Amino acid sequence: MKINVQDLEDIAGVDNVSIDDETINLYSRDISSLPPLAYQIIKRNFDVIVQPESVKSLIEIVRFLKTNEVSIVPRGNGTSGWGGILPSKGGVSICMTQMSEMIHIDEYQTRITVESGITWRELLMFIERLGLTLPVYPSSAAAATVGGFIASGGLGIGSAMHGNVMTQVLGIEVVLANGLLIRIGDLVLGPKDDLQEEARLGNDWMKTQLDELRNNGVTNPLDIFLGTYGAFGIITRVTLKAIPKLMMHSFACSFDNISDLIHAANALLEEATPYHLRYQTDSYTSKLTSLTGLVNEEGKHILSGAFMGTVYQIEDNVERFNKILELHLGTKLSDIRAKFHWAERMFPLRIKRLGPSLVPAELMVPISKLPALFEETRSKLKNSKYAIEGTFGSDGESSFLVWILDDERKTLSYTFGWHRSFDISSMAKKFDGKPYAIGLWNVSSANEFYGKKHYRFLRKFKKRVDPQNILNPLKVFGGRVEAAKESLAFGFFGGLIAALTLGLIVPNILNLHWLNEILWSQSVPIPLGLIVGLTGGIIGLLFIKSLSIQKALRFGVPLLRLLAKVFVRKQTEA
Amino acid sequence: MGIFDESEHEDDPYICAACGNCTMVCPVFRQMKWESFGPRGRLQNIKTTLKKKEKLDEDYSRKLFLCSLCGHCTSVCTTSIRLDRLWIRARTETWERGISSAPVRFSFKSLENYGDPFTMGPSTRTLWMEDLDQSVKNRIGKPAEILYFIGCNAATRPQLQGIPQSIVKIMEYADVDYTLLGEKEVCCGALFLWGGDRKNAARIMTKNIEAIEKLKVKRILFSCPSCYYTWKTSYQEILGINIAEKYQLLSTSQFISELNRERKLEYEEQHMVTVTYHDPCVSARKLNIISEPREVIEKIPGIYNVDMLHSKEDTRCCGNHGLLALSDPLVSSQIAEMRLREVSVTPASRLITECPECVRAFELATTTTGYEIQVQTLSQLVAESLKDKTTVSGEDS
Repeated sequence: MKINVQDLEDIAGVDNVSIDDETINLYSRDISSLPPLAYQIIKRNFDVIVQPESVKSLIEIVRFLKTNEVSIVPRGNGTSGWGGILPSKGGVSICMTQMSEMIHIDEYQTRITVESGITWRELLMFIERLGLTLPVYPSSAAAATVGGFIASGGLGIGSAMHGNVMTQVLGIEVVLANGLLIRIGDLVLGPKDDLQEEARLGNDWMKTQLDELRNNGVTNPLDIFLGTYGAFGIITRVTLKAIPKLMMHSFACSFDNISDLIHAANALLEEATPYHLRYQTDSYTSKLTSLTGLVNEEGKHILSGAFMGTVYQIEDNVERFNKILELHLGTKLSDIRAKFHWAERMFPLRIKRLGPSLVPAELMVPISKLPALFEETRSKLKNSKYAIEGTFGSDGESSFLVWILDDERKTLSYTFGWHRSFDISSMAKKFDGKPYAIGLWNVSSANEFYGKKHYRFLRKFKKRVDPQNILNPLKVFGGRVEAAKESLAFGFFGGLIAALTLGLIVPNILNLHWLNEILWSQSVPIPLGLIVGLTGGIIGLLFIKSLSIQKALRFGVPLLRLLAKVFVRKQTEA
Repeated sequence: MGIFDESEHEDDPYICAACGNCTMVCPVFRQMKWESFGPRGRLQNIKTTLKKKEKLDEDYSRKLFLCSLCGHCTSVCTTSIRLDRLWIRARTETWERGISSAPVRFSFKSLENYGDPFTMGPSTRTLWMEDLDQSVKNRIGKPAEILYFIGCNAATRPQLQGIPQSIVKIMEYADVDYTLLGEKEVCCGALFLWGGDRKNAARIMTKNIEAIEKLKVKRILFSCPSCYYTWKTSYQEILGINIAEKYQLLSTSQFISELNRERKLEYEEQHMVTVTYHDPCVSARKLNIISEPREVIEKIPGIYNVDMLHSKEDTRCCGNHGLLALSDPLVSSQIAEMRLREVSVTPASRLITECPECVRAFELATTTTGYEIQVQTLSQLVAESLKDKTTVSGEDS
């Protein structure tokens, strides 16, 4: 459907709408540098970018786009790489960063309500002046928005003590795909509690739907919207739990082998409950120039983090930390180095300087499986340059993040090399894990990620709230890809050639000369063989057109692997 | 294309992690609110231009000059890209291809003809000392230990004349052996560099060096951080002369701090004045002059400094730097207004800074916003807080 930009400008404000090519190009990407081949299955660009300034305006925008059946993709600051904000089917990108106000602070109950476009850093800077901090915030806090991160979920700084970032969300306000406004959980708006009538209508609708679907097992409505990439609605306001900012004591230690590090991490999590705990493997620390020449760090496995608590709690924890290190053969790093590693927690992408491009892969696995996963990844990537790191959660799980270093200027090898990311992600099952996030690229694993029962419920709810599938299409639920012209041509000619080849070869092999005569008879104006060929072409074209993203990846990844084997020279580990 | 071919920036557009840290701190992005005006977007556009081998046009140039070169993006870059240098390199390309904007070309013409960007001419460089003693005027061109390099803004802008006057007052008070270049002083070369005209930058820098060598000075004092930074780093880059090795370079705060340590300045008790110190971008992020100005303020009895939310290395730009005020005066003044809003939530009644460009930006912003606050440089604050010399000698006796 063509978008009437002028109408959209009337609703959102002229300054808040852009159809400038350069702007569209910038808002149509996330942090990953996709190979050109990716645009064979998703659109390269949005048609329009909109930056709403208020909830009221957003409601109007969503209603307008819904009426016109235009795809909508919500966006924060684009700091993730899972494809959640990519223009799968074009349409409109709704960038939420202009909605970044602090709405309400409840110092007594340590709750804070913000608009979803605020960055974690801005929020932290503010509440730290009140003696508060957040239980969990992302390592990309400097630019990541609150709405963006809770809509994708994941571990962050503080996860060792408080778990997933979503656990601190007390309540949210959402503009649903159908244009209704709902408020769920403990959303505290204070004096800025506007749009009450809108919210009442929306909540009534929501209640009816949940009542009808209740038997499908969803207990907390927040679970519908957190970690589901805005597939049901756009998060506008969030009430987060804050915690007192107690004393913080950073620590760091190094190990010669990964098993010792994992044992030490496990013991630390059990006995000392650190606020944050992160590891960087030898493949990572051997590459960072900032560690060059430091005998206890360069090429070692490093465990770093921080304790948070009262002075007595920290004293006790430091004592436990020292004992654990002694037991598991760790080398304690100096306070200065510990502070360095603590400051570096916000810069996990430093490693990109060595790429200059990165192909990422990330899993969530039980901590006990990390050494085996580490070894298998090493053997899978023996011909590549890579770096591995991860963050520990509070529930016995850890993230396992692999950065494969590459160079996008070498188009062929970079494109074919993307199979490695999918290969690493596919190991999740083997090690009792799951993908770190779903977004666009991991939709095939959505069932395992969300759990069968919950995913089934989500599918049903999606049909009710967004029957036209306009909100963030392809994400979370997959679906038919937007095949590019080249892919369609490939399907057509592939089918044509296959059918013609079959028409020529099969009758000869089977000695069915009569069939050959019928197919290629000169007595008819158009030989039947040609019609068979064209039919094959059309079938090929329809096949490509009907491909879902899941199937496209299922066929595409092995093809990339094969092409990589044939064409790409080995990249030896630096 | 060749924008960055075989330069230190060749890989930079690809090294960028697109993390967005730079964009979040960019004053122009905060004002314009679209990614194409922020560093991440600008770098991405450069990358696209490189990939598509597109022709550089005036719109490309306009966006490159919509940047105050405040260096905040560089200081937060995850992959340590020297973005400030990269922007200048990209601007050089636009200058060489003749697609720089008309205001930039106009001011460069003025620099070539008059030695300053405001078509003022050499004779205006001494107007600030008209009301001062003849003894000050006599110091022009006389060999001495310290050269005070005033800089175009403070020397030629009538509203900024209080800055050189205050510095001279401090030096006279402390019996410093100083000299001045007078009409022989020309732009330090920073403007040419920011606009990408390296050839003229070299010419103008050579002129300054020749003028200084005759004075046999050992130290150079700057009232403008941009001049200081240019002398410190760009003279080496352009002319291959390591100025910092030949002369000791000093900012106003470093100089006053030194005089304080030597007990050469004595202050009158002030009447409980709360000030907020605005760190100029170049001082805080490039020259690392952070503690000295605060030490100077602390030394004056009755003056209290309250830092703004964003201060020290995290300071925010005044919007007047890097030819932004020339390329887009509106955006430039809006950035100053944005910073002034941060001042307004402090209890300060005076805004103190160390840079004449910042003073100019904030003075304009106080007019446009109607927010009443006195804007001063550190030297002005110090000069007006000095004890009367006669009182000092009276006490001594």
